[in-house]
Amino acid sequence: MNPVPPFEPPHIYRWDLDKTYLDTDFDSLSGLLRTALQRPADKENIPGSSELLRELRVAAAGNAQIYFISGSPRQMRGVLSEKLRLDGIHFDGFILKDNLNNLLRLRFRAIKEQVGYKLPALLGARIGAPEGSRETLFGDDAERDALVYSLYADLLARRVDVVTLRRVLDQAGVYPDSRDAIEDALGQLPRQDPVQRIIIHLDRKSPPMHFDVYGPRVVPVYNYFQAALTLFQDGRLGAGAVGRIGTALVERYAYTLPMLLRSFQDALRREIVDREAAYRLGAQAVGGGVSGDVVELFAREAAATPPLDPDAPRRVQTVPDYPALLAREQHRHQIEKARRRRISHWL
Amino acid sequence: MGKTTHTVALDAMGGDHGLVAAVRAAAQISLGRQTAVLLVGDRPRIEAELARSRYDAAFVAVHHAPDVVPMEASPKDALDQFPKASILVAARLVADGAADALVSAGNTGASVLACARTFRKLEGVPRTALAAVFPTETRRGEKADPFSLILDVGATLHVDADALVAFAHMGSAYASRISKNPRPRVALLSNGAEPGKGPPEFVEAHRRLSRDPNLEFIGNVEGVDLPRGTADVIVTEGFTGNVVLKMLEGISETVVDVARYAYRSKLAWRLGLFMLRGGIVQLKQLTDWQQYGGAPILGFDRPFIKAHGRSNARALANAIKVAHKAAQSGLCREIENQLSALPGDAR
Repeated sequence: MNPVPPFEPPHIYRWDLDKTYLDTDFDSLSGLLRTALQRPADKENIPGSSELLRELRVAAAGNAQIYFISGSPRQMRGVLSEKLRLDGIHFDGFILKDNLNNLLRLRFRAIKEQVGYKLPALLGARIGAPEGSRETLFGDDAERDALVYSLYADLLARRVDVVTLRRVLDQAGVYPDSRDAIEDALGQLPRQDPVQRIIIHLDRKSPPMHFDVYGPRVVPVYNYFQAALTLFQDGRLGAGAVGRIGTALVERYAYTLPMLLRSFQDALRREIVDREAAYRLGAQAVGGGVSGDVVELFAREAAATPPLDPDAPRRVQTVPDYPALLAREQHRHQIEKARRRRISHWL
Repeated sequence: MGKTTHTVALDAMGGDHGLVAAVRAAAQISLGRQTAVLLVGDRPRIEAELARSRYDAAFVAVHHAPDVVPMEASPKDALDQFPKASILVAARLVADGAADALVSAGNTGASVLACARTFRKLEGVPRTALAAVFPTETRRGEKADPFSLILDVGATLHVDADALVAFAHMGSAYASRISKNPRPRVALLSNGAEPGKGPPEFVEAHRRLSRDPNLEFIGNVEGVDLPRGTADVIVTEGFTGNVVLKMLEGISETVVDVARYAYRSKLAWRLGLFMLRGGIVQLKQLTDWQQYGGAPILGFDRPFIKAHGRSNARALANAIKVAHKAAQSGLCREIENQLSALPGDAR
């Protein structure tokens, strides 16, 4: 009799869409209009995002679930679903914002506000998640994804209490029904710690230090090659997949090998990957659509990277002061808005 | 495949504002995604500053060089004492092809010596020259450039006719490639317009240049012609060139000081200045050395831009742009071509 294989819960990938998967311009009225009217085939990906998603599905051998959670209005579902179909992305769920309802109910704050939308959506989605499943979350630095995702992780693990949560919701100006949805969902969820990694695409090129406060769980990346390196380090992707994503960036997008090399060096500097992982990449990322130049790049950098100092202090995961962080984010948002206004004025 | 970008090595340790200005300049340039910057200096300090900056990882690299040449140090002694000085390491990286051009705001003598030790002096160049631009009345080239080029401004105090002829060609090549002036007017700086005016080496250089069909030589010009922009390239020896350059800088600073004095002195003058503010701002921008991007050292097989010791991030960023332009336009090759095409009686 064959032994029954142990049940392995699927790994869940939750993706934001705009500025994480899609290269969307929301910063100007013309950009906003263009986004709304674009046909699926005209929508552009962030380089490497579709390749990474496909590789994640393949690497999990079917034992992965992919969900999108986006601030785009529900009316965009058809276009966005078609775009994902064209990209060959099979997804398990797609949550979009009910902005028409927000508009009709004159809830203007809710149209742009992310905490009151994403947090209940994430918690609600977790209720139906298979027991023991772990999660990797993808967002960007244009919104408050690092904060919302981290808060979601710490709420599930009960590292953040209800009093702190309510302070955050007050500060964010979350509407009562969304607050109720958050607390209801939390009440239904057992204590658990499923969030393994939060990957933030630096669309706005925010300084990486900005994310230190969230701890090592949050990894800011400049491109999806660096995201692939993070997932390789986490054991979610194989060396061949990382190599293929690097190769795709060079062959299909406006990347060159030196750009890939500098991204790799940056990942090593910021300890997204360590020297041992770089060695493994060099040794294993051979064949199967991986350019020989990319393999050579891995091997060369591994050899040039000094080993980590065993006595150097390691970053530890702590619970951020969420109300203070939200205040900082709100202040940063105001500054960013003023900066963009200044730039558009000069342009 | 992506387009080829050029890499500029930046000595991150040189200059009065040191590493912070260098890293910020590199970070700013990286966001333009046109030029890659190789920061050469103390790696841990560079990394710490980078983490605080908005940058694009695909366009910034770091190379460790632990030592720095102090601004006041004797160039030869300092380079002998510190073989891992950032300027020397950066020059070696450029010579080895890891970068296409070099920028430093550090000790001028040490920078030039580092280049002399690592770069190849171009065929037909008896002496390298330090060039500088200054604003004039006349606009030239496809970009209506208001600047004339003067060389040498300090690399060699006194030179012979061979060097003056070479300077004329190096300056002409620079003006045609960098200022996009297809046929720059070249003149010798002397004490009279007549061909026989000036020291014997100038008279001899005049004789040879006037027979050179590859050059738009307009003869001698006097000091009064400089701000008028009578010539696009002014050729002189280092001693005179340095005096002239400092005098031009001094005049521009004095004009600003006089305006400040007038502003403080009388209400009527203040009102007058207020009405003239548009013109004054333009004048200030024109005479602002921070936007020139530094002085090129001409005569080596690799472009080297010497930025002002007082350069802040903006000035260094402009120096990087000039260095990129020099590398992209094939300036060194153009100089070599011009010098190899010198007619026999012009040599």
